[in-house]
Amino acid sequence: MNIELYIQSGIVESYALGLASSLEVEEFEQLLPHYPELKEALSDFEYHLELFAIENEVPPPPGTRERIQARVREIPNVPEVARGEGKSYRRQKSGPEYIPVVVSSPYIKVHKNWRTFLIAVFILAKVLLAISIYYFLEYRHTQKQVLQLEEQLGKGAEK
Amino acid sequence: MFQKLTILEKTITKDILKSELYAGQRPAAELLYTRYSSMLFSYILQFVPDKEEASGLLVEIFSRLTPQLQKAFDSSLSIYCWLQVESRKIILEHTQQENQPEKHGRDYYFSLLGECSPEHQWIFRELFIYGRKKEELAAQSGKDLAYISGILRDCLLIIRKNLV
Repeated sequence: MNIELYIQSGIVESYALGLASSLEVEEFEQLLPHYPELKEALSDFEYHLELFAIENEVPPPPGTRERIQARVREIPNVPEVARGEGKSYRRQKSGPEYIPVVVSSPYIKVHKNWRTFLIAVFILAKVLLAISIYYFLEYRHTQKQVLQLEEQLGKGAEK
Repeated sequence: MFQKLTILEKTITKDILKSELYAGQRPAAELLYTRYSSMLFSYILQFVPDKEEASGLLVEIFSRLTPQLQKAFDSSLSIYCWLQVESRKIILEHTQQENQPEKHGRDYYFSLLGECSPEHQWIFRELFIYGRKKEELAAQSGKDLAYISGILRDCLLIIRKNLV
């Protein structure tokens, strides 16, 4: 497939604006993981679309937030997180406390105290390494001295 | 640079929203409202010029889309584009149910189509604002489907050109 021609057909814009037919959507979503150019064209268009929306913002009339809050309050406030393969998962009171979360980021989040701990471990490791090297050199030096003394003793005995 | 900073402050990534949703749907709805309500309200006004009616639609959109946020994570679209696409479906459902006479809302995307012919603008309006099918338009205007599709493609590429 000539992906440049496909992009020039306006499919990216059509998809992002919700004008694509179900068949076009299906085809686009199948191609998306295989063509980085297509992904880039979509991200680029989405970025500019969002920028345009920011530039054209109109605040809703006062009271709209409260009306939405009232409506959302009617929805049970259960945590809903991704489980993968498009399935949603609701935590149940009687169920297990573990909630599997799929995160696309390759990074993991840890508490910042771990940073201090890891720095301390790193410094301690360096100190131990330096002490080991020092004692190793001391040992070799002592060994040499012992050998020299033995040689001297041997020579003295011969005389 | 400034624009990039602005959009970075405004944009919600799927991971951010996921972490809010972990605490429940209300915090997630609150976050979405804080970031996107003004952007979506402006978007709605191009379909529905009356501010009261548009505000009612915004309430409807948030209350209907909040329980469906899992779909946003599964979608290939960004959170904002997903909201726009899903909002348009709800708006069209409302305007088609009401069977209202055609009213012209805010220019919005039409401000990007200024260089197009009246025919291009008419076709884009019918497809995008009124949610009509290409086949319907082809039959009404006596043109073939490829002609209508070609005009839509021209409009979309002009929108991209003027956005970027």
